[in-house]
Amino acid sequence: MNSVDQIIEIYKRDVDKTLVDACLKRTIEERIQALEDFETFLAELRKQVVKKRDAVR
Amino acid sequence: MTRFGELLHTLGAAKVDFILVGGVAAAAHGSARATQDLDIVYSRGPENLKKLVVALAPLQPYLRGAPPGLPFRFDEETLRQGLNFTLTTSHGWIDLLGEITGGGSFEDIVNHAVAVEVFGVGCLILDLPTLIKTKRAAGRPKDLEALAELEVIRDKIGS
Repeated sequence: MNSVDQIIEIYKRDVDKTLVDACLKRTIEERIQALEDFETFLAELRKQVVKKRDAVR
Repeated sequence: MTRFGELLHTLGAAKVDFILVGGVAAAAHGSARATQDLDIVYSRGPENLKKLVVALAPLQPYLRGAPPGLPFRFDEETLRQGLNFTLTTSHGWIDLLGEITGGGSFEDIVNHAVAVEVFGVGCLILDLPTLIKTKRAAGRPKDLEALAELEVIRDKIGS
């Protein structure tokens, strides 16, 4: 086993298997849609954070 | 923000020969990790370059990270002269890859892709073992955590 394999094995301990299981229950389209929904959520969140930051200046 | 579904629909509707790779392919295989762009390996045949231009030109593609105002023309000649393009479009970010490290060209990996129907169009997604192989070949430190998750998924589904 090389050093890259060793690092990957260490990271595997921290993989959230409940998240993986939840993803595997979805269809492929639902998985890609979830990515897009997350992007939408992040964009809105960032907008609100900037708004708040500007308001306190 | 990238509208993955609309980008896939645009490419599929124009019958572009492409294979979904990278983070969205990983998500399609069950990864819970977020990504911001759509990575595709496209066939570099002349007909396909034409289809790619027809599909993406209306989305005003521009080089991601480049200063505004550069004379960038998204046409068949530009695609022929280059290989990999990181673009921003009106539907979000897309990376057009003529080749992928550890995999090669569209023609090299097409037999390692699975056909699926998403967002009303058929598309090819790089299969999980080959996705793992290409990420290992890329050797980027940032991919190591993603690789751990993909290998957990592979072991779970027995791929």
